[in-house]
Amino acid sequence: MGRLVAILGQRLVQAVTVAFVVSLLCFALAQLLPGDQALQIAQRRYGDDRVTTAAAEAVRAELGLERPLALQLIDWMGRTVSGDLGRSLVSGAPVWEEIRDQLGATLALAGAALGLALLLGPVFGALAGLRPGGLADRAGMAAAAAFRAVPNFVVGLLLMVGCTVLFGWLPVGDSRGWLSLLLPALTLGLGLAATSARIARDGVVAALRSPFFAFARMKGLSRAEAILRHVPRNAAVPLIAYLAVSFAFLIEGVVVVEEIFAWPGIGHALTHAIEGRDVPMIQGTALMLSLLLVLLNALTDLALLLVDPRRRA
Amino acid sequence: MTLTIENLRIAAAGAVLVRDVSLTLEPYRTVTILGETGSGKTLVAEAAMGTVAPELAVSGRIADGGEISDAADQGARRGAWGRRIAMLPQEPWVSLDPTMRSLAQVAEGHRFVRGLGPGPARRQARADLASLNLAAGDDRYPHQLSGGMAQRVAFASARAGGAPITLADEPTKGLDATMRDAVVALLRKAVEEGGSLLCITHDIAVAKALGGEIIVMLKGEIVERGDADTVLVAPSHPYTRRLVAAAPENWPTATATATASVPGDVVLEGTELAVSRNGRRLFSDLDLAVRAGEWIGVTGPSGCGKTTLGNVLLGLMPPASGRVRRRAGVASTRFQKLYQDPVATFSRHVSLRTALAETTARHRVSFDDVMTLLERLRVPVALLDRRPDQVSGGELQRVSLARVLVAKPIFLFADEPTSRLDPITQQETMDVMREVTRERGCGTLLVTHDRTMAERITERRITLGSDLA
Ligand SMILES: Nc1ncnc2c1ncn2[C@@H]1O[C@H](COP(=O)(O)OP(=O)(O)OP(=O)(O)O)[C@@H](O)[C@H]1O
Ligand SMILES: [Mg+2]
Repeated sequence: MGRLVAILGQRLVQAVTVAFVVSLLCFALAQLLPGDQALQIAQRRYGDDRVTTAAAEAVRAELGLERPLALQLIDWMGRTVSGDLGRSLVSGAPVWEEIRDQLGATLALAGAALGLALLLGPVFGALAGLRPGGLADRAGMAAAAAFRAVPNFVVGLLLMVGCTVLFGWLPVGDSRGWLSLLLPALTLGLGLAATSARIARDGVVAALRSPFFAFARMKGLSRAEAILRHVPRNAAVPLIAYLAVSFAFLIEGVVVVEEIFAWPGIGHALTHAIEGRDVPMIQGTALMLSLLLVLLNALTDLALLLVDPRRRA
Repeated sequence: MTLTIENLRIAAAGAVLVRDVSLTLEPYRTVTILGETGSGKTLVAEAAMGTVAPELAVSGRIADGGEISDAADQGARRGAWGRRIAMLPQEPWVSLDPTMRSLAQVAEGHRFVRGLGPGPARRQARADLASLNLAAGDDRYPHQLSGGMAQRVAFASARAGGAPITLADEPTKGLDATMRDAVVALLRKAVEEGGSLLCITHDIAVAKALGGEIIVMLKGEIVERGDADTVLVAPSHPYTRRLVAAAPENWPTATATATASVPGDVVLEGTELAVSRNGRRLFSDLDLAVRAGEWIGVTGPSGCGKTTLGNVLLGLMPPASGRVRRRAGVASTRFQKLYQDPVATFSRHVSLRTALAETTARHRVSFDDVMTLLERLRVPVALLDRRPDQVSGGELQRVSLARVLVAKPIFLFADEPTSRLDPITQQETMDVMREVTRERGCGTLLVTHDRTMAERITERRITLGSDLA
């Protein structure tokens, strides 16, 4: 119990730190971007041709951009902390409103990718591990090695080409419901599935060779009974520990894959915000992605506590 | 219900490893096998279980109750596992599933082997643990058990299937006197309840305490057998006589044999060391200076931090306070540690020759050096072409000793270096270790649970664990 509180506390501290750092960086970014901020904001709002110096001054006064930097920073951080992410410079709508739907799309994508990885990886890994050196092991592990070696975007492009050739449509955006979710989720999930398969396989092999498995057999349990009772939990420990470190790559992959498939998620929005120099949107999306990472890590912590009693001490 | 092994013979490609061994295990009776390391004791137990390595040729007959099988047909023995024969694990702690509570590990036998329902199986397991004074251990996971508790949980789970016959291969190796006596009590209890026991041990005191029939093996054959009171008191075969006489209490003391043991300069020094594990202070205020060529004994009850002290001195882990100074200008590879469990330190997949060649290459010494050491330790050269699981426990222990000594250490932390050896080989091995370390000016810390041995062969001793009381 104490351990649980400690871990959640740690993750909370991590979340706050991450939010602070992201916010600070975005503020710095706003200052470092070349040109007059107020003028640029005014241009976005009213259109390039109708911007006057007066409009720019109005924006400056409205947003308090003429105040000393330190004051602006305090103000900025204060708003971020209180959950006010500001308005998009491009659309003028509140950032939170803009990214709420995108967050849903990203969670759907990441969830589907993780689900696929956790479905395919451990199943193929376990099949391979139960007969080390057998056909399933060699074929499965060769395939896994191939998938690990190929970057996300190549998998994505291959899937897109395949899909266009076979079915005559190109999956972009969320035009076709869950069908259009499948390809980006596969793109994102296959690499993860391949590595989890490898780790699940090694975990199963290690458990089968362990003295506690041999002892379970000597106690009189059949091979199947011994496998069911002693292999899954022990093989899950390294797998979950691996997932915990792989989430950073998953988030990175989200940005790439959403861009390739024009998936209307946070990663996509982040890319656009960067292109449009929309600092509040950059901050909002980057914050969401980092907090998502912290959340996933907290979840794996809990899962590890659940399967591995040694960590509860 | 008796188990009889008749005319057992086990052969490898070039050699006969066990020849003409017959024995009978009867209810209320104990058979204890003593003998030289590598003499085939473990192979006999493995033949009874049907777990001899497939590359070995087995022949003979096994009659288990009414069932008679050819010893070569090892698959036929599977059905006896847990039901008629319980094999106690060699290392109880690692033989328990780290993710499962004690109660479930014991209940498993009642449920899947004896076929009780989940509820009754748990109740029965609870009763088993209570009868071993372990009621408090029910809900614990293996990492929460002390060595002694793990022993008892393993004992209860091995026997939960209701097997009348118990096999135990060196169940007390590396245990201090208290824990050893506890294990002996467990085994005796199993016999008093009508079971039969086959126990393999190097500890004459254990053999005495168990009583029953003694079988003495040498080079794959039984050289003497008979009642414990006769064989251990008035042995008739010259080998048995030497074996019984070689118990550590009969060894000459160090001061008497120490030839020109002028301790040299300090090779390693620890000042005001304190060490904690899991928030528990194991010892504090330890001052220790190890001089070249000197032997210091480290004793103390199990769990007192002997192994941890070694890790601290070697810089593998920081002390809670205090400092360690190793002699300057000496490569860190010359501060060496001999692990308690030799099996864990060898890669399972390569031959011993390959493993040793890697070591000599790393330390830039010639392979002949290691061959010379093996010869002095009386390790047959033929072993080198086998993998670690194809040699006996005591053979592997001496190979790992040679591997450490060939690095020409100036400091050696030796953790129970002879725990898997018969008393004669143990004494010879200690003599060789002492000679080699003295010749080379290597300061040695000898960790042992055996106070008598420590008193015989070390010049001075430190005892840990007084903080624990
Ligand atoms: N798979 C194998 N292939 C070849 N030789 C083997 C194999 N397994 C064991 N041996 C040899 O058989 C002999 C007997 O081995 P065993 O393990 O029974 O000895 P032991 O009496 O139990 O010794 P210890 O007291 O050291 O445990 C040893 O010399 C060993 O090297
Ligand atoms: Mg043995």
